[in-house]
Parts: sequence; structure tokens; C-alpha cells
Amino acid sequence: MTFERYQRHSLIDWFAQDLVQTAKVAIIGCGAVGNEVAKNLALLGVGSIDLYDFDTIEIHNLTRSVLFREHDVGKNKAEVAAMRIQKLDPNIKVNYFAGDFWDLLPLDKAQNYNCILCCVDNFEARIKLNQICTLTRTNLINTGIDSKFTQVEVFPFANNKQVACYQCNLPNTVYERMQARYSCGWLKKIAVTEKKIPTTIITSSLAAAMATSKALALINGNEFTKAESILINSATGVSSISNFEQNNCCIGCHTTKKHIFITKSSANITSKFNFSDNAKAEVNTSDPILVSYRCVKCNPNTNDCTVVFKKADDFDASLTTCKQCNHDSVDVVIQDSFTTHELINNYAGKKIPVKFLRLENKQQTTIIELE
Amino acid sequence: MSNINIIIRTADKTRKAELSIDLQQTGADIIQSAVENWSLPTDTDYSIVNTTSGTTIAPNASLKDSAVVDGNILEIQPVLVAG
Repeated sequence: MTFERYQRHSLIDWFAQDLVQTAKVAIIGCGAVGNEVAKNLALLGVGSIDLYDFDTIEIHNLTRSVLFREHDVGKNKAEVAAMRIQKLDPNIKVNYFAGDFWDLLPLDKAQNYNCILCCVDNFEARIKLNQICTLTRTNLINTGIDSKFTQVEVFPFANNKQVACYQCNLPNTVYERMQARYSCGWLKKIAVTEKKIPTTIITSSLAAAMATSKALALINGNEFTKAESILINSATGVSSISNFEQNNCCIGCHTTKKHIFITKSSANITSKFNFSDNAKAEVNTSDPILVSYRCVKCNPNTNDCTVVFKKADDFDASLTTCKQCNHDSVDVVIQDSFTTHELINNYAGKKIPVKFLRLENKQQTTIIELE
Repeated sequence: MSNINIIIRTADKTRKAELSIDLQQTGADIIQSAVENWSLPTDTDYSIVNTTSGTTIAPNASLKDSAVVDGNILEIQPVLVAG
């Protein structure tokens, strides 16, 4: 039965159905491109497909999403996509994760994927996924579309320690645009209008076809020695292929050492909490932490601050307005770097509210994933 | 200051210019000039690709460091964000 299903594939000399059936692939983002990628991977018979998305289906998604129906509006995208591709091929294993991949995808799990396909719609998520893939040396395929162009980028991290990452060639304007969404460092601005980018099924299906083809090449063991980008004009068919060179000043990967050690630890800060022999050694957090805040008018004494110690991203700029005096006079302290001494002395009993901690020494990058 | 002659164009080939340019200019400098001179959409991000060598030029790298030479064709490409 199973052999008959894939019989046409077996006639293709470069197609290794056995490798495809044992492959494990993750799709991050189940929107327009994610739908098409999921459909393609399922029809190819990829053995294990994990789908991640926190978002719910809206009526306007239906013009570009082959797996969604009108009665699915309001349901989670990953859940519905998983159910539909499971029906396309009952022989494959499909899992879905309804939430933010940053919270739901442990690093040891990421390491087990043959590749991760990035089908999200914003730069923040791409940069976070790039971090996961560079640290775990997991192959990453990034996709992007607009109404005319399709972009697919391959980052073969698994077999190459010296390969450009997604951030190596990212324009400075991307960071400027991201920063414009925040005030006071990492507090979200209260009102930000997201730009709506029009896309069609033409560019999303084209991106997915190319991304799936690259995923298949990685599964089949094709050696990519460099990161590469493909840009296709869907109106004319003209395409451009270029290589990415590693950027020695890249803020995403230039501090990462060739040897990466990943371990796990409890997020609880106790007196025994220790990640380095040197209590003054600095550890970086994967996310900025809102440490404390204080109204400089109501509480002029610097010791009268309110300790928060939660992820800064969970707060918006309304925090800078004092609820007592109603002035914009609240100072916030946001940190992404601490010493062991500082953590134990100031925050014992609290949980470190981030995905992982990161330490650098001359030879090694150590990642402590927090549980 | 050392100049080279190159061709710059947009990915959709609707804009094209032949110019003499200082090798110390960076990828970001050229993108900014292209956006300003050709009135390209400012709500889009761009990268620059040397189509002759098939290499993307890093934003802060100079043309010299990126091994751009006389006669090369550089293409301004959108960095796509929708998915």
C-alpha cells in the first residue's frame, strides 16, 4: 500500500523515498507559505512534520491557504493545518504546537530536525529562529514573499561551522524598523500600526515549492557549502541566485565559538545557582529582562524601586507613566546581562524568565536552556 | 579615493544606471542612494547583490572589501518579510 502510494517517486533516480520517510522537519508559521510547504512535505511523504503557530485563522487568509476552510475561522492555524495534511497522507506523523515556537521548541528538539522551514511574517521571529538554528547547528530554510517576488534562503548549519547566518547580511534598516516598534529599550510602543503586505497564492506557492525542493535536497544529503538566496520574480520568471558570505561583524553569530555546548538547568535562582567558577563572569540572557521600575517624582530615593524581573517584551510603554502622579516619570531598568553574584544576591527565589542563558569564553559558547 | 565603473539596477529591472563610484562606499550607502534617487518604497528593506560574482554584499562592507571590480552589475533586491 505504502510502496504503491510512492511508486512514482521511486522512478526518480535522485529521489530517496526511504530518507524522506525517516526525515523530521519543522514548519514555523502556518500562514500562506506554511500551508503550501506543509502540503508539499505531506504529499512527498516526509515521515515526521511538526507545525508551529500561535495565530488563529481569519477570513482573509482563505485566498492563500489551501488547507483552511471558511468554517475554520477562529481556530489555531497549526492545529487545522496538521489535521488537513494528516488526511493527505495517513502514513506520516504530524504534530502541532499552538503557541510561540520560542517557548515551545526546546533546543535539543530543534537539533533533531533535518531542517526547519521558516514561514513567518516578521523579522523578530526570523532572527529568533536564526539564533536557535545557529546554536543547535540545524539547517534553516527561510522564506519571504510579497505580491510579485518570492525569496528562499538556505542556511546549511548542520555540516558547516563557518557559514553565514540569516543576520550576516540583514540590512541595518531592518533593525531600525524593529527598534521603532519599541520605546525605552524593549518596552513595546502602545500603538503601532503593522504594515499590511499584500501577497497572493502565486508567490506563496512558488516560495513553498522552492523551499520544499531545498528541504528535499538537505534530506537527501546534498552538500551545501555556502548559504544561498534565491529571488524569483513571479511575473517574469526571472530569478537570481546569490551566496551569502559570513560577516565578521554580524550581531547574530560573530561571538559564537566553533564549539557550542548546550545544557539545561532549572530557571529557579537559588543560593546554589552557579554557571561559572567566576562569580563576576557575565552571562547574557536570550531576552531582555525588565528588572525594576521607579517613579523619579514619587520615589526620589533610588532604593524605592519596584522589582519586577520579568521578560521586558511582556510590558508596553504605558509602564513609563506613573499611576500615582500621572507623569511620564517612571525610570525602567532593563538588562540582558548579569553576573552570578548579582542574580543570587538580588533575585534569589525568582525564576529567570528567558529561554536560555549564554556564556562565552575563548574556546566555547555555552548555552544553558532554562526549564 | 579610487573609483570604479559599475552598473546598478533594481531586481525588477525597471531602474538601471551606469556610474562611477568610490570603492570605499558600503552596500548600505549604495542602497540608500538608490532608494533616494529612484524613489523606491521606503517601507521596504533592501539588500545588494553583485550579480557578476553571485554574492550578496554585506551592508557595512565596502565595495573594495566585497571584491567589486570595474564592470560588475549590482542589483538592489527587496528583503521580503511576509509569509
